[in-house]
Amino acid sequence: MLKRKFTPSHVKVLDSPPMLILCIVLAVGLYIGCFAGLISNKAMRYLVQIFLYITMGEMWNLLSGYAGMTSLGQQLYIGLAGYSVAMATSPLFGLPLFGALLLGAGISVVVSLFMSLILFRLEGMYFSIATLVAAEAFCMLFFAWKFVGQGAGMTIRINPYPTLQEICILSMTICVVALALVYGLLRTRVGLGLTAMRDDITSAASVGVNIFSHKLLVYVIAAFFTALAGGIFFVNKGMIYPDSGFGISWTISMVFIAIIGGTGTVSGPIIGAIIYVFLNEKLADYPGWSNIILGTITILVILFLPNGIMGTLQKKLHFEIFSSKRFSFKLKKAAKEK
Amino acid sequence: MYFIQTLVNGLLLGGYYALIGIGMTMILGIVKLTNLAHGEFVIIGAYMAAVVTSALGIDPILSLVITVPLMFLIGFVLQYVLIGNAMKKGPEPALLVTFGLSIIIMDALRLIFTVNEQSISTPYSTKTFTVLGINISVLNLVLFAISIVSILLLTMFLSRSYVGRAIRATADDAEAAALSGVNIKKVYAIAMGVSMASAAVAGLCIGMKSTFNPTSGGAYLSTAFVVVVIGGMGSIPGTLIAGIVFGLAQVIGGASYGQLISYVMLLLVLVIRPRGILGK
Repeated sequence: MLKRKFTPSHVKVLDSPPMLILCIVLAVGLYIGCFAGLISNKAMRYLVQIFLYITMGEMWNLLSGYAGMTSLGQQLYIGLAGYSVAMATSPLFGLPLFGALLLGAGISVVVSLFMSLILFRLEGMYFSIATLVAAEAFCMLFFAWKFVGQGAGMTIRINPYPTLQEICILSMTICVVALALVYGLLRTRVGLGLTAMRDDITSAASVGVNIFSHKLLVYVIAAFFTALAGGIFFVNKGMIYPDSGFGISWTISMVFIAIIGGTGTVSGPIIGAIIYVFLNEKLADYPGWSNIILGTITILVILFLPNGIMGTLQKKLHFEIFSSKRFSFKLKKAAKEK
Repeated sequence: MYFIQTLVNGLLLGGYYALIGIGMTMILGIVKLTNLAHGEFVIIGAYMAAVVTSALGIDPILSLVITVPLMFLIGFVLQYVLIGNAMKKGPEPALLVTFGLSIIIMDALRLIFTVNEQSISTPYSTKTFTVLGINISVLNLVLFAISIVSILLLTMFLSRSYVGRAIRATADDAEAAALSGVNIKKVYAIAMGVSMASAAVAGLCIGMKSTFNPTSGGAYLSTAFVVVVIGGMGSIPGTLIAGIVFGLAQVIGGASYGQLISYVMLLLVLVIRPRGILGK
C-alpha cells in the first residue's frame, strides 16, 4: 500500500484575510439571526452558554496557557460580578443592566489589582492555592453577609428584565470583543512577550520581557472579562447564592474547556466551550455521572492529548488558526527531529 | 477562665486540624505536587471507616486496622499508574489530573452513598469532664491523642526507617537521590500511599467529630491548604503549630467567622513569609 508521506516543511497560518472574513460573516450572520428572531429560543439558550463559556475559557487560557498563572480562583470575579449585578439592579439602587454589569466588572478590576499585590509574590503551586483560598474567603464573606441574604442568596430583579434575545446579543458582543482583544493582544509586542513566557518563562525574562507587567495586564483583563461574562450568566439565571457564585465548579468548567480545546491556542477554548456546553446538556440525562465523565475525559486528554484537540491538530497538520504568528513560515529542522 | 477554656479547646482541636493537613504537606514537600483531591481522599477515609465500623460492629478507632493499609494501597497505585505519568508532562497537567480525580471521587461517592449527611457515632462523643474548672470534651481529647500519635509515628517513619530516609533525600534533591540508587517513582508512590493512610486517619476523626457528605471534601481541602501553607510546606512540626493556630482561630471566630479568620491569616502569611512559619 502506498502511503503518502506528509513532510512538514512549513506552518500555515490560516488567518489571512479569507479566515478573518469568514469569522466576520459568521458573527454578523449570528447577530442578524438574533435581531430578526430567526434563531429559536432553544438555540439561543445554547448560544448564550457557548458565548459566555468561550469568554471565560479564553480568559483562563490567557492566564494559564500564556502567562503561566494557573488560577483556580477565577470564580472570585464571577461571584463578585454576579452579586454586584444583583445588588445594583435591586429596587434599592435601581441601576440599569449596563451600568450594573460595568460596575461589577469595575469592582472586579479593583479587586484584581488588590489581589495582584498578594498573588504576584507567589509562583507555581503557591499561586494556585492562594487564588483558590481567596475565592473561598470571599464565599465565606458572602455567606456571613446579611444584606445579600447569606446562604439563601438573592433573586435578581432588573426592571425591565432583559429578554433572552437581548441577553444573547449581549453575551455574543462580549465574546466577540474578548476574542478580538485576545487575538489583537497576542499579535502585538505584548503578545510576543506572552508567547515567549508560555514557552519558557526564564528565557523570556532574560531577553527582556517584563514578566510582572505582562502578568498584571493579563490578570486584570481576565478579571474584567470573566466578571462581565459571569454577570450576564447570573442575569440569565435569575438568582445567585454564595455556592453558585464562588463555587469551584466554575474552575472545573474553565479548566475543562481550555484543556480539551488546547491551552496556549486561541482557537482551542472555542472548540472546548462548544463541546462542553453540548456535553453538559447531554450529561443532564445521567444525573450523578456528569462530573465522573468530565473528570475522566479531562484526565484522558491530559495523558494522551496533552496539547488538546486544537493543539494536536495544529501539530499534526501544521496549520494555526488565529495564530499570534503574523505569517506562514518554513520550518527548518522540525522534519528531521521526528 | 474563659480565656484558658478557649486556649484548651483550640489546642485540642489543633491536633485534629494538623492531621488533616499532614497528608497534604507530605505530598507538597516530597512529590512537589498540589493534590487537589486531598479533601476527597479524606472523605473516602471517613466513608471507609463508617462502613467498616457499622459492618463489623467494632469501636471506630479499631477500623483503622483495615482502612489504613487499604488507603495506602490505593494511594500507591494511583500515584504509580496515574499521577506519576501526568507529572512527567509538568506541574500543571499533574495538578489538573488531581482536579479530575477529585470531581470523579465526589460524584462516585454521591452515587454510592447518596448526598445524606453521615457520621460515625462513638459512646464517648458527648461526654465531658472537668479539670480545674475547665470543661474538656472526651471526644476532643481522643482526637488529639490520635493526631499526636499519628504525627509521631509519621515523624519516626521519616527519620528512622530506610524508606523514610529515601523519601527525605528525594524531597531535598530528586536527581541526587536517583543517582544514589533511590527509585524515585516508587518513593513518590510510597509517599502518596502514606499521605492516603494519613487521610484515612483524618477521615475517621472527621467522621467522629462532625457529619460529612460526598461534597464536604472541598472544605477540608481548604483547611489542609491553610494549615500547610501557614506551617510551611513539607514541615511536620510547622504543620502541627499551624494546626493549633488554625484550631484557635476556629474556636475564637466561631462557626461564622472562624473560617474567614483563618483565610485572612493565610493571606497574611503568604504576604509576609511566603514559605510559611517553619518553611525552608
